Amino acid sequence: MTAPLYEVRNVGKRYGSVVALQDVSFTLNAGEVVGLVGDNGAGKSTLVKILSGAHEPDTGDILLDGTRRNWHSPHDALQAGIETLYQDSGIAPDLTVAANVFLGREILKKGWLGRFGFLDEKKMREDARRELERVGIAVPSATRAVAKLSGGQRQAVAIGRAVAWANKVIILDEPTNHLGARQAGEVLQVIRQARDKGLGVVFISHTLPHVFEVTDRTVVLRLGKVVADRSTDSFTHDSLLKAITGLK
Amino acid sequence: MSLESSPVDDSAARRVTAVLLRQDVILLGIFAAMVAFFSAINPRYFSLPSAANILQDFSPVVLMAIGQTFVIASRGIDLSVGSVLGLAGVTMALVIRTCNEAGLEPGLTISLGLLAAIAVGLVVGLVNGLLITYAGLVPFIATLATMGAAAGLSLVMTGGVQIAGAPRAVIMIGNTAYFGWLTVPVMVVFVIIALACAFMAWSRFGRWTYAIGSNSFAARGAGIDVNRHLVKVYALSGVLAALAGAFVYFRLGSGSPLSGRGGELNAIAAAVIGGISLHGGVGKMSGAVLGALITTAVLSGLILVGVQPNWQQIVVAFLIAIAVGVQGIGAPRRGG
Repeated sequence: MTAPLYEVRNVGKRYGSVVALQDVSFTLNAGEVVGLVGDNGAGKSTLVKILSGAHEPDTGDILLDGTRRNWHSPHDALQAGIETLYQDSGIAPDLTVAANVFLGREILKKGWLGRFGFLDEKKMREDARRELERVGIAVPSATRAVAKLSGGQRQAVAIGRAVAWANKVIILDEPTNHLGARQAGEVLQVIRQARDKGLGVVFISHTLPHVFEVTDRTVVLRLGKVVADRSTDSFTHDSLLKAITGLK
Repeated sequence: MSLESSPVDDSAARRVTAVLLRQDVILLGIFAAMVAFFSAINPRYFSLPSAANILQDFSPVVLMAIGQTFVIASRGIDLSVGSVLGLAGVTMALVIRTCNEAGLEPGLTISLGLLAAIAVGLVVGLVNGLLITYAGLVPFIATLATMGAAAGLSLVMTGGVQIAGAPRAVIMIGNTAYFGWLTVPVMVVFVIIALACAFMAWSRFGRWTYAIGSNSFAARGAGIDVNRHLVKVYALSGVLAALAGAFVYFRLGSGSPLSGRGGELNAIAAAVIGGISLHGGVGKMSGAVLGALITTAVLSGLILVGVQPNWQQIVVAFLIAIAVGVQGIGAPRRGG
């Protein structure tokens, strides 16, 4: 059997005296959507931060394509092809759609202007539109400030951006939060497209119907430990809820 | 997923552009109205010497306002710029006096003085940036601390007195006006204004500044080294404030530990009058430049119509309050 696309082994993380994660192992294969669920304080955010490179684990290993890696910052993980969309905060509202898509990856003008850091706005505008369309998002105007878009459209831009740039793993923290049913359905459709492209997708959500709808496998965290990790089909709504809460 | 169902149609984008254009037009209109008002009271206000004088007053303010604009757009504030102006001015004066007495030739003397001034601005700016990013102080407190420290240091270095002893060349450079208004330092200021407008609007540096001010978490998530960028922004503000100090030194031929006192008020006024949002992420550099022009024109107008200098600060404070109030009414709601 080949190594999983992305894996953490036996990671632990403490914040002072609080144990956030304890001996957690997590795997993700290419072309797979894994749901990560758990109650508040179960350690989901901490695991997301470790997977995305925002925090370093105290103990344990991170492996990408079977090779041990260390992320010192989100930038390292991004470089390796791991995109993360954080809850409600992936977007700079005052910037345009195109500026957001290319944030941190700006295209500079050719020649000496580019050497001084001047931006090739036209190319970014055109490429942003093309990249978003490629992942199934039609943008009427790439030059509009994101603050002028509705919540669902903003989320569409954020997810489109992550899917367009990810080449291995995409981590989505509550991507369907605050969205209407139709918009949430569209988000799930983009996730399926990402999976069909061969990306590994980590889907964090409190909305269990969405977890059932889109994930192949579900990992349940409770009090900093993995309490269940199996095919989503093998859960019923009740058994998943019980795994999350720990109630019999 | 589709963005086609946008509640904002494309004509709205054009309207927004029109409003932004109008903002510049409004500022120019305010400026013209003020010139007309002061000229009506005192016709001498509308003259070449008066304009040349306003330009000399405007230059240090606009230099500080440019730095302030980068800082405020990144959702910070730099209260130390006035004190940095003073500290850079007296440092330059001391270095130049020392070199001059040691018999160095004027060109070298002035260059060394200028370098020393810039180094002072760079150091204070770096300290601001490091305090804010790595020590985690809020910008208001960090720059309040360096504001006090820089002002105190100027007094310690000078014993509280003005430092003269500049070679004649300094006064020549600062006061030889071509066409009756254009001195070499003013020319340099114009070049800096043009570069600042271009970098703010069209460069990656400007883009990252806006992005951090708009949502620093998103900027970090996008792989931008936010701390590093903020240190650069505060360093830039420090250097520009130091250049303002050098400008004042060239103009007067001496450095006073008291010059620049309250300069932060004018710089912040220029930026907020120019539409730079204190919430970060929004505002154009050209607005801040016009804001600096309006601020200085008001101040020299007040003097020319015979208002006591002590009232100046009060007027500037009112301008800030009005500008922020107007912004608050017109500002778009920030999304969450």
